[in-house]
Amino acid sequence: MRLLVPVCAVLLVSGASLAGTAAAEPDAVARGKYVLRAAGCVACHTDEKGGGTVLAGGRALETPFGTFYTPNITPDPGAGLGGWTEADFLQALSQGRDPQGRPYYPAFPYTSYRGMTEQDMRDLWAYLQSVPPADRANKPHELGFPYGLRFLATVWQWLYFEPAPFRPNPDRSDVWNRGAYLVRHLGHCAECHSPRGRLGALDGGRELAGNPEGPDGKKVPNITPHAKDGIGGWSKTDIAFFLKTGFLPDGDVAGGAMEDVIRESTSRLSDEDRAAIAAYVQSLSPVPGP
Amino acid sequence: MRRVLCALSAGLALGLAGQALAADSPENLVKYRQSVMKAIGGHTGAIAAVVKGEVSYGAHVANHARGIRDMSLIVPDIFPANSGPMDYADTGALPKIWEEPAKFKLAVSAFQSAAAKFADIAEGGDSQAIADGLGALGKTCGGCHKPFRQKKE
Repeated sequence: MRLLVPVCAVLLVSGASLAGTAAAEPDAVARGKYVLRAAGCVACHTDEKGGGTVLAGGRALETPFGTFYTPNITPDPGAGLGGWTEADFLQALSQGRDPQGRPYYPAFPYTSYRGMTEQDMRDLWAYLQSVPPADRANKPHELGFPYGLRFLATVWQWLYFEPAPFRPNPDRSDVWNRGAYLVRHLGHCAECHSPRGRLGALDGGRELAGNPEGPDGKKVPNITPHAKDGIGGWSKTDIAFFLKTGFLPDGDVAGGAMEDVIRESTSRLSDEDRAAIAAYVQSLSPVPGP
Repeated sequence: MRRVLCALSAGLALGLAGQALAADSPENLVKYRQSVMKAIGGHTGAIAAVVKGEVSYGAHVANHARGIRDMSLIVPDIFPANSGPMDYADTGALPKIWEEPAKFKLAVSAFQSAAAKFADIAEGGDSQAIADGLGALGKTCGGCHKPFRQKKE
């Protein structure tokens, strides 16, 4: 009888939490799918060239430090995130650490995702748990010496990283704040559009001012409103239209990695979110370069 | 039927292009190709200005769309073997075009079908359908420009 009490309690608690999960799930999954799009997870976590399953990882990211292979984030118990808890997932996004507490290399843009709201992280987790598991095993990164020494990622975090949630600016409009959240955190635009220092940390003073040595060795344009070097000549409508269709104001079309971003992410956002991104980007100080 | 004929003649032209153009200089071939691409971009930019509501030339969209469709028919001709980056450096065309011709052909024909479809949509004059159609057309532009072009500064 004495045993029965804790057992009942456990049953009650797990029953309650199950009921809670079941009730919240459909909405959370639907919201999480949108977060997935806005956060651009698909383009990196899918080996499109190799015909890989969506979100099963394996895409090569060539950087000056070596080649990173993105991991499988489907809920496969062995190859993916099947063994993870929601808390593990939140820790990965906001602190850049794996479930064992080891730091990730900043090729994974937790430096931007750290600002994600808890709600968005939980919804994203709900969505990722809902996709079909794929058993593609993760491929180890191929990094040049000394970058393959993982403790260096710890040093890197000491030097350049601290968790920092997004704080809306009360002096700005809701639209501006939404845009800032989308650009700086979910959309992690700065990860490609800003120059990096020798150890791969983003140059905060030149945020979004372009990167002469972007992913796959390609030049990434300046998207601050600088008249000559940036997109100062673009209207808000031009920016939103580009993010929706891929067409630049001169009728040319986005190629390179931005084609992926438009197809998998920005073309699938709401008109309101694209307008918010445009409003935020236009409000930045023009920076020359790169 | 007309579309089938167009596609057939485009195919024939592609076969003949190699011989006829070997005599033209790589520089001139690249510049010609860039002019054709700018023509397509010019029409697209004009349609985009209408779709964005910047100008009220809604009636022109069909003309521009016909222009894009016509240009799409000559796109297969303008990548002869002697017009790649090995022949003339100032081109954004990547060697992959000539290394993987089957893939390239597939991407070009996707653009051609989308351009033909968009011309029909534009003829209809429905502004929502035009806006959506332009997005679909843009995807096929990206279908070539992403894998086969490295934009020059």
